Amino acid sequence: MERCAVVGIGQTHFKKTRDDVTIAGLIREAVDRALEDAECTIADIDAVVIGKAPDAFEGIIQPELFLADALGAAGKPLLRVHTAGSVGGSTFVVGAHHIITGIHERVLAVAWEKQSEGNAQWGLAGGRSGGIGAGGAFAPWMRAYIHQSGAPEYIGWQVAVKDRLNAVKNPYAHLKIADITIEKVKESPMLWDPIRFLESCPSSDGACAVVLTNEAGGRRAPRPPAWVEALSVRSELAQFPGRNPVKPQAGVDCAHDLYRQAGITDPRSQIDVAELYVPFSWYEPMWLEGHDIAGPGEGWKMVDSGETEITGSFPVNPSGGVLSTNAIGASGMVRFAEAALQVRGQAGEHQVDGARTALAQAYGGAAQYFALGILRAEPT
Amino acid sequence: MCSDSGVTELRTSETKLEFPYTRTVGPIVGAFLTGLRDGKLLGTRNRDGRVLFPAVEYDPETGEALTETVEVGPEGTVDGWTWVAHPTPKHPLDRPFAFALIRPDGADTAMVHAVDAGDEATMSTGMRVAPRFRQEAKGIVTDLEAWEPVR
Repeated sequence: MERCAVVGIGQTHFKKTRDDVTIAGLIREAVDRALEDAECTIADIDAVVIGKAPDAFEGIIQPELFLADALGAAGKPLLRVHTAGSVGGSTFVVGAHHIITGIHERVLAVAWEKQSEGNAQWGLAGGRSGGIGAGGAFAPWMRAYIHQSGAPEYIGWQVAVKDRLNAVKNPYAHLKIADITIEKVKESPMLWDPIRFLESCPSSDGACAVVLTNEAGGRRAPRPPAWVEALSVRSELAQFPGRNPVKPQAGVDCAHDLYRQAGITDPRSQIDVAELYVPFSWYEPMWLEGHDIAGPGEGWKMVDSGETEITGSFPVNPSGGVLSTNAIGASGMVRFAEAALQVRGQAGEHQVDGARTALAQAYGGAAQYFALGILRAEPT
Repeated sequence: MCSDSGVTELRTSETKLEFPYTRTVGPIVGAFLTGLRDGKLLGTRNRDGRVLFPAVEYDPETGEALTETVEVGPEGTVDGWTWVAHPTPKHPLDRPFAFALIRPDGADTAMVHAVDAGDEATMSTGMRVAPRFRQEAKGIVTDLEAWEPVR
């Protein structure tokens, strides 16, 4: 097996509406930045992997076909990945597999969403009216978590304040609310009990791309690469008897597989920074427990004690996370890209000091698809 | 249970599900559509000097971003064609016509469009055609209604 290195990272500036560019133009902004970072051109790419959330979001079926020109994919393998909201993470994983298996030397992986061209809530409802949206689907599980863990109501507000303040330090983040306070979150309108407006993600337009290469490519990269230490994907059905949607088994299995590959026995002390897919505030403590970083009922205490702050012992979402930026298809890849930026020491104002090992996580569907990765500053 | 007492016709209720999307057309496709509204045909020139028509943002062969628009035509040459003797309601014209590959003067590629030739005998590869634009142009692709033989 080959080692895989992330040598190029590119993101668009995420916004509510990018009506100045086409979908292709939006994607190329991220792609061109990733190529520039890797100091290569689109002609140097051997294969392209592209991911996005449901086609209904923009109303273009199999958009990878018409995007082939913009991706410079003529005559090259072009593969579409689709695993709902986790797709950006899965796309990274599939791209990395192209390298790890030794099939290709340089792969472009890109994920995107242009939510302003459609209506995601309608798309999620499969064309039926009266859809409850993602927040409505997840709210009962967040309530169940609060009930089971005994977490105080303010934990969700704390996560919202933290992520929104982190976003102010990230030039690519969509929502930047520098004057956010616990009071403001608490007083914002209730959308889906227990989730208030300021505890929810926005709808964004944007794209994220990475250039992946093998060990030789990583060693001659113009800038320090991020080394892919471990990858894992798992999925489960949205409903089945005995399912625990608060802590899905697929998420547990995915994390354990990841930690085993990376030789991690105590994730809380062995991981320096985590980018977790947190579209609603309560998912931060839920995934800390859902991936066995914290024990049962301990996730919210990590939030409460400030451990997940950018200066804490286990920083979560220094980028501002999905709470601040959610171009759905891109969001999973942004987690991997941000984790890579951290171990490359290139996260700028939201850099976590001394980050050497980073966890990237994406989830999708009814909390049923998972893609996880460990990125390191040095190959092991 | 059914009975025939008094019920003489099926009763139905129609519902229509619609969801409109907004497509951002960007600087190149946008210029092409605006050109159609103004009765102009725009292509894009690539690094090799070839003019691709209709205008595209990215070179399909190399992925190069194309930024130089070029007015082509308005007349063009038919590179190939097929006759549609029995148009359906979904076809662009309500009378027999040809689907043709049309390469406007100054362009190096052809687009598929309809030739309102009236009679199959009028059609030939290499024939000259001119665009016919709709009276009320809106800056959308159907502003270009059809092509006509140049006599």
